[in-house]
Amino acid sequence: MTMLDSRTAQAGTLESMDCLVTVTGPADGRVIEISGSSAPRFKISMERRVNDVLDSLGCDSGVRVAVQDNGALDIVLGARVEAAFVRYREGDVR
Amino acid sequence: MERSAVNREIPSHIEGYGDVAGRLYEGAFARTPSGYRSGPRIRSSSPHDGSKLTGGVKEAIMAAGVKSGMTLSFHHHLRGGDHVVNGVIQACAELGITDLTIFPTALFDVHKDIIPYIKSGVVSRIMGSVNGAIGRLVSEGGLSSPVVLRSHGGRPRAVISGDVHIDAAFIAAPAADRAGNISGQMGRSACGSIGYAFTDAEYADVVVAITDNLQSYPISPISIPGVYVDLVAVTDSIGDPAGIVSGTTKVTRDPIRLLIAKYASRLIEASPYFMDGISFQTGAGGIPLAVTAFLKEAMKRRDIRASFGLGGITGYFVDMMKEGLIQKLMDVQSFDLEAVRSIASNPSHIEISADWYANPWNCGAAVNMLDVVILGATEIDMDFNVNVCTEADGALLHGIGGHQDTAAGAKLTIIAQPLTRGRIPCVVDKVHTVTTPGEVVDAIVTEFGVTVNPRRTDLMDACADFAVSRRIPLIPIDELAERAKKMCGVMEPIRTSDRVAAVVEWRDGSVIDVIRQLEK
Amino acid sequence: MRRTMLYLPGSNPNMLLRGHLFEPDGLVIDLEDSVSAGEKDSARVLVREVLRRGEFGACEVTVRINSTDTEYWRKDVEVVVSCGVSGLRVPKVESPQTVKDMDEEISRAEEKSGIPRGSTKLFCLLESALGVWNAYDIAKSSPRVTAIIPGGEDLAADLRTSRSKEGAELEWIRRMIIVAARAAGVDALDTVFPYVNDDEGLERETGFVKQLGYDGKSVVHPNQIAVVHSVFDPTERETAAAKRIVDAASDAEARGLGAVSLDGRMIDAPVIRRARFTLMRAGLLSDGQRG
Repeated sequence: MTMLDSRTAQAGTLESMDCLVTVTGPADGRVIEISGSSAPRFKISMERRVNDVLDSLGCDSGVRVAVQDNGALDIVLGARVEAAFVRYREGDVR
Repeated sequence: MERSAVNREIPSHIEGYGDVAGRLYEGAFARTPSGYRSGPRIRSSSPHDGSKLTGGVKEAIMAAGVKSGMTLSFHHHLRGGDHVVNGVIQACAELGITDLTIFPTALFDVHKDIIPYIKSGVVSRIMGSVNGAIGRLVSEGGLSSPVVLRSHGGRPRAVISGDVHIDAAFIAAPAADRAGNISGQMGRSACGSIGYAFTDAEYADVVVAITDNLQSYPISPISIPGVYVDLVAVTDSIGDPAGIVSGTTKVTRDPIRLLIAKYASRLIEASPYFMDGISFQTGAGGIPLAVTAFLKEAMKRRDIRASFGLGGITGYFVDMMKEGLIQKLMDVQSFDLEAVRSIASNPSHIEISADWYANPWNCGAAVNMLDVVILGATEIDMDFNVNVCTEADGALLHGIGGHQDTAAGAKLTIIAQPLTRGRIPCVVDKVHTVTTPGEVVDAIVTEFGVTVNPRRTDLMDACADFAVSRRIPLIPIDELAERAKKMCGVMEPIRTSDRVAAVVEWRDGSVIDVIRQLEK
Repeated sequence: MRRTMLYLPGSNPNMLLRGHLFEPDGLVIDLEDSVSAGEKDSARVLVREVLRRGEFGACEVTVRINSTDTEYWRKDVEVVVSCGVSGLRVPKVESPQTVKDMDEEISRAEEKSGIPRGSTKLFCLLESALGVWNAYDIAKSSPRVTAIIPGGEDLAADLRTSRSKEGAELEWIRRMIIVAARAAGVDALDTVFPYVNDDEGLERETGFVKQLGYDGKSVVHPNQIAVVHSVFDPTERETAAAKRIVDAASDAEARGLGAVSLDGRMIDAPVIRRARFTLMRAGLLSDGQRG
């Protein structure tokens, strides 16, 4: 795998009740990184949500998903992960 | 292990604090005083030379006889602009003094400069509010003795009753004369009221005034007379004016805060206390200030005037007094320039000490005359217990302030707070730390409406009867908690060790809760 | 009631989740102007999730989709209609043809999602001179159409003028639209007042459109809601007077009398209708009892 194959896509913002999701790949398996205001009390459920969304979108290749959170509720996190992953998959890199 | 009346597990003995047995929290008004007040050393001054000038801060520390192991007190009337705490601790370090207990009314982010001196052992113990960086350090085990948190009223109570003996008090003085008369009302570092310092001036063995504004004898007006003051040190700057007072306080335009404020103001208007002569404390936060603004409209509409406004005073209160809507202001802390100007010029704007403001063990604190108080919280639980000390991650980041005192004293105590901060719910099954017991909390106001403590059926009836056009949505506490849980999900637990990092005293000196050290 | 319909930017989770707490009569979740071209995809996903969650209090929920001259609108319709909203606010409606195109697309989406055909209503934004000229025909072009709304900025530009606080450029248009709406039997809703810190200006403009006969106004900031409601809500005196009239009418009906009288004076049917409407506005009579 060459460096040229590496891609990054983002969705979301760092505004209140939102989160910024960055999907990078390819990676060695699925890597999820959670940081930000909800992380101390919701890390496990946030990881679960990210996994559920990726599974539902049929993600079976290795990707790194970084969530910078500023108080996103579960549905917002899910929406941001979905938008970022779809952009990543469709090569819509920004 | 003991259990306080708010059902918290507290060790029978806390290393660095002492035995808890016998002083466990048993109820908001359970503990009463006996015996006599404690007292400081008696001293005199020389008959022919009343000057107390000693040079700079370092000379004053030497002249005061400060030694390793002593307790030094400080006050936060210069708030985030204070240079005095950092200056005194640094000078002590340079003089080789170690193992100090510091007894500040509150420490802010500006005081993170003392962290190296905590690490090097110059400061070994803190009894007082810690905000921001020092709070985090304490939570992570950075201090060998637990921090002792006391309310604005609990602190002078501890001094007067002898729980805490102050070896030396260092008072930041925006204006002073050579005989040690002090005022906060003039000078480049003017801060208005210096009410937090009064009791320490009376009860410390040595009192040092530190000023950057030495005026000729005698100054006027005088807040703390020189009869209590031993030494006067002159320094270039006691503080940064930009951090001492804020500019003009403006009412928020944030719609959620305005919504909460509107519901809170309607609750007050519907309550039996909304009549001529009402008194209230609202503080300087976004929501409370907006409540004041709505209340002002309601007072005009219903032709009602308030007898007094209490606590930390803002320009907004000053304007209401000028308009005749509030008759008197009782000021323990002046938040902005307008308040500083007003206390210096208007006799109806009264400077009061923390003792006078809030101490449960004197012959009558101002909080006992209070009708309504609006307070905040980081968490509230199903028993209406309130946490203002620890954040969502369990770290100690805020002091108690006047929370306990006003909640206990006022006839109507309202906690006004958004239901969630980001994804973190403010209404939970059980608060991480009990600062103020539900026993003295009457209602919670969120963007979802008003939640009345079930014991206040009178308030529920008053809300239900209120005019249709000024509707007050009522939501029971369990429904509110359920809503928060549905929105946010269930929080994962905070991981702590058994070690006590801070002790939370109720205002009467009993132990209501402890804050445990966070696990790394 | 559609006194206020609050716009919520489709890319802003904070407002999308909390907008209903301010208790406007309706919400307009926006996928159009407040969402930049690069965020249309992510906003659509976010809005879908928020619609599925479905917590909007008592608010009527509508979505402003992108106009039919963009590449986004078909996808917008598909996603939004499948979530079951009360209606779509359609920008730049020029003629009955725009409505027909929209109608077909919505019907397909309704069928696909098993939603009864026709349940998704249309709120037509008339943002050009042509659209305004065709107001009546547009309002009559489909039973889905439930309201017509004058545009603001776009319309002013099309008229070769600009928005002003006094609103001279929209004055005749507002009059024309209310006539078209009433003739077609749909609601007339006003455009937004964009100066969010000018409560007096908002009150003046709302007073004007209320007097013209408008049913409500679009708002861009939660703080505008109370101002607009206070204009549209009847005063206590108006409510009391209306209640006496409605009571007298009910009493006459119960006693089988054809004519209604109050304080010795006969009351005409339009006056009774007006009184019922006043009570509905005051929240003392439900829509169904309007008569």
